[in-house]
Amino acid sequence: MKNAVRLALALALGLSAMGTARAADTIKIGLMAPMTGSWASEGQEMKRNVEMLAAEQNAKGGLLGKQVEVVVEDDGGDPRTASLAAQRLTTKGVVAVLGTYGSAVTEASQGIFDEAKIIQVANGSTAVRLTEKGLKYFFRTCPRDDEQGRVGAATIEKLKAKRIALLHDNSAYSKGLADEIHTLLKAKGANVVFFEALTPKEQDYSAILTKLKAAGPDVVFFTGYYPEGGLLLKQKKQMGWNVPFIGGDAINNPDLVKIAGKEAAAGFMFLSPPVPKDLDTPSARAYVSSYQKKYGEAPASIYGVLAGDGFRVVAAAIEATKSTSSDKVREYLVNGMKDFPGLTGKIAFNAKGDRVGELYRVYKVDRDGGFVLQP
Amino acid sequence: MEQFLQQLTNGLAVGGIYALIALGYTMVYGVLKLINFAHGDLFTYGAYLGMTLLTSLLLQGRLGAVGGVLVLALMVMGLVGLLGVILERAAYRPLRESPRLSAVVSALGASIFLQNALMLIYGARFQVYPEGILPQRAVNVLGLQVPLMRIVVVLVTLVMMAALYLFVQKTKIGTAIRAAAIDQGAARLMGIDVNRVISLVFLIGPALGGAAGLLVGLYYGQINFTMGWIYGMKAFTAAIIGGIGNIPGAMVGGLLLGVVEALGAGYVSVAWKDAIAFLVLILILIVRPTGLLGERVAEKV
Repeated sequence: MKNAVRLALALALGLSAMGTARAADTIKIGLMAPMTGSWASEGQEMKRNVEMLAAEQNAKGGLLGKQVEVVVEDDGGDPRTASLAAQRLTTKGVVAVLGTYGSAVTEASQGIFDEAKIIQVANGSTAVRLTEKGLKYFFRTCPRDDEQGRVGAATIEKLKAKRIALLHDNSAYSKGLADEIHTLLKAKGANVVFFEALTPKEQDYSAILTKLKAAGPDVVFFTGYYPEGGLLLKQKKQMGWNVPFIGGDAINNPDLVKIAGKEAAAGFMFLSPPVPKDLDTPSARAYVSSYQKKYGEAPASIYGVLAGDGFRVVAAAIEATKSTSSDKVREYLVNGMKDFPGLTGKIAFNAKGDRVGELYRVYKVDRDGGFVLQP
Repeated sequence: MEQFLQQLTNGLAVGGIYALIALGYTMVYGVLKLINFAHGDLFTYGAYLGMTLLTSLLLQGRLGAVGGVLVLALMVMGLVGLLGVILERAAYRPLRESPRLSAVVSALGASIFLQNALMLIYGARFQVYPEGILPQRAVNVLGLQVPLMRIVVVLVTLVMMAALYLFVQKTKIGTAIRAAAIDQGAARLMGIDVNRVISLVFLIGPALGGAAGLLVGLYYGQINFTMGWIYGMKAFTAAIIGGIGNIPGAMVGGLLLGVVEALGAGYVSVAWKDAIAFLVLILILIVRPTGLLGERVAEKV
């Protein structure tokens, strides 16, 4: 037993010695992603995107004459695991960290990276408060929930609806988005006739639909997730009620159509960042096809591609400043980077670390259950 | 007024499902004085088995929609009933002579086992029934738009509850069940095989629960492996409102709970729906501690 411990210690020492020896000739970029847990499919895609881009960068000669090395840590989609993953990353000499997906998970790691002065570029964390804390080294390539609120309110206005109903599920994301839209609509004098929450994970929403119908709205905006969204659409159809429904980006999942049925889902609209197949720049299309060549399937999640964009902005900033200093890279990302051609559109950051510009699009479900980008 | 009637039908449909599950709780309690916490999971198994048989056997194609669903219902009820009998043999019979708390712990364990087994077999994602098995149409009843399936759900529940009531009250086997519920020792002395009665109770209760699971699957379409927990909780509440151990009580309690929920959601607040339902439960228990129809069983407990 004692010998085994000694052996392990010796091995660990040897490995860490090798680690520091290699640190000199590579530039390390961390990736914190949910490799396990319920968001594991998102994490796998993030890893694929970032590793492919790193390999491409290395084929071009790497960064500042050095090879790029991606260090992956699993956050398990869980805030507690994430803080441990973040601490491990800070000891591995990474220049910047990409990720992660969930807002609460990112929040658990933000302080750790900020204290260690490591640049963090999140890819799927849309909660508003993440960039309102004045953290110097935090950025994100995804939009914020208040932008979604703006696009949502604009979409409702475009439909020329007179009586508007808002329905949420009391979760932080869902209620936040509903509040955001409510405030914007009220400021414009719109008539919000219904604003209430349903209980998620139930199966019978006929009581709330009956109440909604009695309020007589022209349009209903549901800010919750796809399982409840699907049931609402299905039961609305069963009631013989034909009011248009709109949803937020948590609705963007093909299971919505499976639950609702094609007939009930047809005509339903939702907001979302573009799905990878709808990325429209030539470089994005080239990227999607080389991804397909490498992995045998096209990227399914936009958040994986947004992690790839995180890698590209960090690489561009290191090249432009010819430095791996966090302060110089940050300075460049905030002030130097203008209209960077990202895979998901033009990228620039404001002083808070938020991406500038609109990313949300409007999608509509067609008769065959496909998600069609609306002009 | 129209909204009130609409909410009433909403509540009756949900309440019918609660009542059907509550029957299983109440029958087992009546005979064994045991809360079968795994009952909600047997309900979930009904929903999953229904989906599996529906997609693999394609009965509706061979026997038509109505015939196919009827045969399917019988198969699901039989299988879930069998599962109930096995559950009783494996988890409850060895503990028959132990303190009652041991059996409750065993029931909770069985519930966790059943739920996780389902997750490992089918995966943690939502499962969806195939589309278009039964017509998703609304019919006009006295000026109200009521989904056809909802009428079917209520009718099926009422028929099953009535059949069970008549079976327990009018047949010889039913009399044996009632005798075992009153005094197992005396029933044994009268020549009743109490073990067989208990097995029968564990066949009928879960079979009705399985039928409720199938109805939920056919009507709502979307099922998941944890849904037995919420439905089980509500049905258990319904059984207590009506007076646990009492079969008509389970029916009344289930329908009442469904209607209170729907009216609470419709006229007070949707988010407070469950709180209102449980407030009613507390009020009923303050006024009538044995439940609405529970007096007759109170003596024998």
